[in-house]
Amino acid sequence: MSKPNDLVQGTLDLLLLKILALEPLHGWAISLRLKLISGDVLQVSEGSLYPALHKLEQEGWITAEWKQTENNRRAKFYSLTRLGKKQLESEAANWQRLSSAISQVIRLEEA
Amino acid sequence: MRPQHWLYTIPLRLRSLFRLRHVEQELSEELQFHLEHKIEEGIARGLSPKEARSAALRAMGGLEQRKEEIRDLRHIRWLTDFFDDARFALRSLRRTPGLTAFVAITLALGIGMTSATFSMVDGLIFRPYPVPHPGNVVTLVSTTHDSPFDSFSYREYLDIRDKTNSYAGVVANADMEAVGFSAEPGTTPRIKGGMMVSGNYFHALGVEPRLGRGFREDEDQVPGRDPVVVLGPDFWRHEFAGDETVLGKTILLNGTKFTVIGVAPDRFPGMLTFGYPDFYVPLAMAPVFTTNLQKNFFVDRDDRELSVKARLKPGTTLERARNELAVLAKNFEREYPNSNRSRGAAVYTQFQARTIEDENWKFGVIFLILALAVLLVACTNVAGLLLSRSRARAREIAVRLALGAGRFRLIRLLLTESLILATFGGLAGITIGYGVVEWFHSKQSIVFATELPMAIPFHMDKRVLLACVALSVLSALLCGLAPALQSTRVDLVNALKSADVDVPGRKRLWGRNMLVVAQVSMSLMLLTASFLMARGFQHDLMEGHGFTKDHLLMTRFDPRLIQYNAAQTQQFYKLLAERMRETPGVQSEALTQNVPLGDDDFDGVAFVPEGFQMPPDRANFNSTMDTIDEGYFETMGIPILRGRAFLPSDTAEAPRVAIVNEHFAKHYWPGGDAVGKHIHLDSSAGTPVEIVGIAQTIKSQNMGNLTDFVYMPLAQHPVARMVLMLHSNGDALQLVQPVKDVVRSLDSNLPMLQTRAYQDFYLNQAVRGPRIAIDLVGSMGLVGLLLAVAGLYGLVAYNVARRTREIGIRIALGAASPNVLRLVLGKGLVLVGIGTVVGLAMGFALEQLMNSMLFDSGGVDILAYAIVVPTMFLVTVLAAYIPARRATKIAPTQALRYE
Repeated sequence: MSKPNDLVQGTLDLLLLKILALEPLHGWAISLRLKLISGDVLQVSEGSLYPALHKLEQEGWITAEWKQTENNRRAKFYSLTRLGKKQLESEAANWQRLSSAISQVIRLEEA
Repeated sequence: MRPQHWLYTIPLRLRSLFRLRHVEQELSEELQFHLEHKIEEGIARGLSPKEARSAALRAMGGLEQRKEEIRDLRHIRWLTDFFDDARFALRSLRRTPGLTAFVAITLALGIGMTSATFSMVDGLIFRPYPVPHPGNVVTLVSTTHDSPFDSFSYREYLDIRDKTNSYAGVVANADMEAVGFSAEPGTTPRIKGGMMVSGNYFHALGVEPRLGRGFREDEDQVPGRDPVVVLGPDFWRHEFAGDETVLGKTILLNGTKFTVIGVAPDRFPGMLTFGYPDFYVPLAMAPVFTTNLQKNFFVDRDDRELSVKARLKPGTTLERARNELAVLAKNFEREYPNSNRSRGAAVYTQFQARTIEDENWKFGVIFLILALAVLLVACTNVAGLLLSRSRARAREIAVRLALGAGRFRLIRLLLTESLILATFGGLAGITIGYGVVEWFHSKQSIVFATELPMAIPFHMDKRVLLACVALSVLSALLCGLAPALQSTRVDLVNALKSADVDVPGRKRLWGRNMLVVAQVSMSLMLLTASFLMARGFQHDLMEGHGFTKDHLLMTRFDPRLIQYNAAQTQQFYKLLAERMRETPGVQSEALTQNVPLGDDDFDGVAFVPEGFQMPPDRANFNSTMDTIDEGYFETMGIPILRGRAFLPSDTAEAPRVAIVNEHFAKHYWPGGDAVGKHIHLDSSAGTPVEIVGIAQTIKSQNMGNLTDFVYMPLAQHPVARMVLMLHSNGDALQLVQPVKDVVRSLDSNLPMLQTRAYQDFYLNQAVRGPRIAIDLVGSMGLVGLLLAVAGLYGLVAYNVARRTREIGIRIALGAASPNVLRLVLGKGLVLVGIGTVVGLAMGFALEQLMNSMLFDSGGVDILAYAIVVPTMFLVTVLAAYIPARRATKIAPTQALRYE
């Protein structure tokens, strides 16, 4: 059993938090939403999705509730907490800083 | 974690703990939901249901692994793991009930003995005073050349109280003493233990009475004015049935009316280690109670009867208090040279006070060390057993490791098992501890030969129980860690292949061998200790005390209990001696203040030998003394070597005389004759006393060396409390009724105390008392030996079982029995040999320790070793031989079939 490396895990957290900031969803819907929004580029392996969701729950950034879906089946819906919102903001800011730094380096002209 | 987090996370964790099944169910449901959607998606893309399902499962990477990953993320994982491990451990332990029971009992013995001896050390040294903030209560003592722990006089106490700045309160108390108590006038007084204390005693110590109040300062001002008494809690319950209307009641103490003004609370049984006063009275009432008849309690600065304690002021250091008191002592020396020459003063913490005052604590420490040795043997035994057990489970462990369990996780599992075992052992150990402490309590009457409320202060209280718990955890780690570490360092391939995991490697058995050596050496040390202790006491006994012990009846009197004054007391004793001499059946009578080998502290006498030039820092010499009458030496069978015994002519009007023992005579007049010389009392200008006889030196104190001794006649040195000794023509107890008759004819109110045959008393003091210690140490030695034997037997038997196939082959190939024996036994004997050598060294070290602390017999006791070592060796060799012999009987065909 392999654990996702830190960079990927951190990014995944950010994505999940953002998606849940838009509206509460259950696990399957989250994976669909991710694929949809990113145009199939980001495919989260099921292996990393649920552990990541549970970790976010343990940290107190998201909270879960069992509700009925449109098909009248029971599912666990996750939603962002107030703390999660703050975490999202800080992680988003980090990501901006990181990606712009990388962009700077990439943009350098080759000699 | 920031506090806001907790709002979310704590309910989560609690849920994982207490509603685990529910949480697990939800997890399955959630993953199942996802799986089903994935399958639907697969079907929609054109796969068959079966293909869709396997594709979905593959995509999810296996449901169980995902669940396990998620479980790992739960922050309380370690706790749920612990519960799982514990449950598993309990199941596997239940499968081997014999082993579990043996381990539990082994640990119980070790933990039980250690906790019992810990209760001893706690009761004797560490238990804090039963007052608020006991840490800043200190003990003040007077110090001299001869004694680091002397009492103060009343005047000295007042000066200390008034002239020092370091203390928030200075209290004083006299020794607990026998007091005649009557609840109603006209009834015969009974002996109870009372204690005189200063007026500020309860207040300064911070003791709130349960009923009524403590003393007021003004109640301790004027001698004899305020007859008030505070009752001890147990006494109040026994005598007054816990009646709350006891306040204001009048009781008689030594014939004087006292008013009850308060009852001490349960949590204050007193400040003494062994005594629990029945009641407290103010120092000002001293004239009612027995104090030194030669001196005036309130005036004489050298009438030293008070123990002083004080509370340090907050912010004052011990150093400062010590300096201040030293300066005060110097002032006393200057202002009162007659009473305070070369006397210092010291301030002791509780620990210092308890360890300097007497020697009992040393026994406690020795016992504790021995008990820890037993515990160590027990733990090594258990460790060995667990090692064998884990070898047997090697396959199971290998499988776990192969399935991906981390090594640390496995170690946790194995440690949990030893923790469970240690818990069983600990609980049983507490029971054993209680048993041992109760056994001590049952022996109380042997140790304390008195009517006073004295008790053995060992209890299995909170602190001791806490120590038990800590010991259990420690033992668990000791026993379990090494086997756990070793068994998880397994070569997977080999382990999974064959049942026999042991690859013959030098390193592997090293741990086990060390255990055996440790066991053998520890139990050798324990056996040596019990032997040494028995011999030490016996040595003490055998020294031949130098006086008659049989046919003697003894009984104590204290006429002050019925308020006799000095003249009445003297008259009583004179008549008593006369009448007893004339009684048929009495060969001779004697009166003495203290019996030899008794519990009581002998009086001391300060003197300057005639013609001696005292060194500048000493005012006088000291010697132990006894007050006796003319019949003493004859009755006790002590020969007078030179000069004479006391005569009826040595009256109060005649010149003062004394008799000294040979030790004293040789000490001060080594070449010449002490008879005819004089000693001056207290100082070179003091009353001259002529030495008229030299008596043979007898052993007057238990466990001590022979010392100087001075005897003075009762007529010239009046004392209130005396013991009547009667030498009977027949059995000593025949004389009890005649004595009663004579006493009744003199005064029917006077109680006779501690009437018994001296032989009995002596046996208690000199034999039965030490026997308690010997029994305790002996049982520890025996337990240690049994454990070591069991351990060795187990090791050899295990070896045989392990190498059955190999031995079978050897026998099939023609090996003879002796060769097989040598093969199996060889290693074991070497280990026993090493263990014996180490044990000898430890035993030797222990003997030096015991000599320095207890017996002072000096030198090495060869006989002890000569007996213990071969015995030990023989027993352990036997333990190894029995299973080894079985090895020779192995039928090769059976052995080869074994798998």
